[in-house]
Amino acid sequence: MTQRVLIVDDELPARERLRRLLAGLGDCAVCAEAATGQECLRLAGELHPDVVLMDVRMPGMTGLEAARHLALLPAPPAVVFTTAYDAHALEAFEAQAIGYLLKPVRAEKLAAALQRAARLAGPQLARLAAVDPARAVRTHVAARLGEQVRLIPVPEIYYFAADQKYTTVRHQHGSDLIEDPLRALEDEFAAQFLRVHRNALVNIGRLTAIERDAAGQYHVVLRGLDERLAVSRRLAGELRERFHL
Amino acid sequence: MAEAGRRPQPLRTDPQDRDPGAPHRLNLPDFCAARAVLAVVLIVTLTAIVLTVARQTSALRFWLDLARTSLFLLWTGLGSAAVLCLLRQRLAAMALAAASAIALLGVLAVIAVVSVAVLWLGSSALLGPRAANLLQPESPWRFLGANLGIGVIVGGLALRYFYVTGEWRRNVELQARARVHALQARIRPHFLFNSMNTIASLTRSDPARAEEAVEDLADLFRANLNEQRSSITLKEELEVARIYQRIEQLRLGERLQVVWDVADLPMRALVPGLLMQPLLENAIYHGVEPRAAGGIVTVSGALDGDTIGLTVRNPLPEAGDAAHSGNRIALANIRERLELLYPGRSSVEANRLGDEYIVRLRFPYVQDTARTLAL
Repeated sequence: MTQRVLIVDDELPARERLRRLLAGLGDCAVCAEAATGQECLRLAGELHPDVVLMDVRMPGMTGLEAARHLALLPAPPAVVFTTAYDAHALEAFEAQAIGYLLKPVRAEKLAAALQRAARLAGPQLARLAAVDPARAVRTHVAARLGEQVRLIPVPEIYYFAADQKYTTVRHQHGSDLIEDPLRALEDEFAAQFLRVHRNALVNIGRLTAIERDAAGQYHVVLRGLDERLAVSRRLAGELRERFHL
Repeated sequence: MAEAGRRPQPLRTDPQDRDPGAPHRLNLPDFCAARAVLAVVLIVTLTAIVLTVARQTSALRFWLDLARTSLFLLWTGLGSAAVLCLLRQRLAAMALAAASAIALLGVLAVIAVVSVAVLWLGSSALLGPRAANLLQPESPWRFLGANLGIGVIVGGLALRYFYVTGEWRRNVELQARARVHALQARIRPHFLFNSMNTIASLTRSDPARAEEAVEDLADLFRANLNEQRSSITLKEELEVARIYQRIEQLRLGERLQVVWDVADLPMRALVPGLLMQPLLENAIYHGVEPRAAGGIVTVSGALDGDTIGLTVRNPLPEAGDAAHSGNRIALANIRERLELLYPGRSSVEANRLGDEYIVRLRFPYVQDTARTLAL
């Protein structure tokens, strides 16, 4: 059976070379090329490739993050990472037994990697990201949406709210359900989000005021959002002090 | 995003204290330490012997002379050591000329005090007539004047000696650090392997460009491996930086734009090798590559009187993390090598200004006379 391959790399010569190597292998066909992680996710949702050849270092969303989002697809593709030089990532690939190729890629290694290419599980990828703390923080969170994955840029998010099994993400274009537990989000986005209540994390950059209603309950006002979120009394004072609200 | 916490601030530059690249200071030994005090006692005793022998007195007077000279010199030596020990911290913070003058004045003050004490003891009856006779010089004013004169000469020589050895030690330290940093600042492996990948791709699609890229890469590595030539002309250095740009251009395409505004620079100026290329490399690695839309790097330079100013500007990455360790190593390395070539007359500054990262170099314009003919 012919393998359908999606090539992801921000550098044009790198994509061209992989395309040519794949053409020489037989038994596989390039279904598309993507220059960014976002493009890769869109194309993977539409074209359902069997394998994604993923560059690790890309501007904006890294290959490691894109692979984490890919794992949310109903039938996620297998991922083989490609990298020119990245001591951190290589160590992690070895530790997690994840396939990778070193650039410039050799044709025979590429063939072998495609044969062995395996789907990566979400937790495996999360552990992979955690190896390099500088890159463990995602630029987007992803919501499953039928066959597709919807990417939500982190700066566009107002708040996360725990919602039984799922977490609600309220963002500039509506709200979505994601599978990440609030606890994990709190740890990952500690620099950008703050817990204001047992079940809510708000975007620090959007905090504008703290209000108190007639009943004495405190609420936070978030820039661009009409909705008010309840704040525990203990945190209200702390927030006022810290952000001069 | 936490805008409040991300307000652009000037980056902390390396601390200047303990930095061999700092301005020239008076480098005195630590006279508070037991080793230095012992050395003072030894030197003083030897000097007393030399002075006494030089007087060629009779055998009987020799021992008396020696005793009195070494007593006088011991008080002066230990007194001076005590004064310099107390002043040490303040002197270290002062400019070289002021610190030297104050150190010398301190020593002279000690000599004056000891001399006056000798005169006073000699004229008083405290020690009995025999001792008074020994301590009583023929003319008090000549005694004081001669002592101060000797103090100026010997003190001046000692200060000069301390300054020269301090400078020598500083230079050795600078060279060692520059060598270590040069090793660390070598072309990034990331760049090497990515370039190889680009060339592998071009060999089929555009063999002529692949050939050029291999030649460029060879020239770049030759320049990097050339440790012996600590200084080259600005023209050569800018050429290396342009070669570097050409290789990166193949890989990054339209995402990379470099604006060169260096036409006004004197191309024969002498600069340390690999002055500009690491700065351009940093600008591309941190400012252009992490941006999906790419960015513009501006290299500009001007001659201001007899000082050359060079500036490299690049946009900040979208994520906002600017000063990586690789960047700091490259800057420290450039600072040290400029300092070695132009001691005390160069500066390297790095700042975040708005959404740009700016590195400024300043160093004197010295023409490369050795290679002027060849140009």
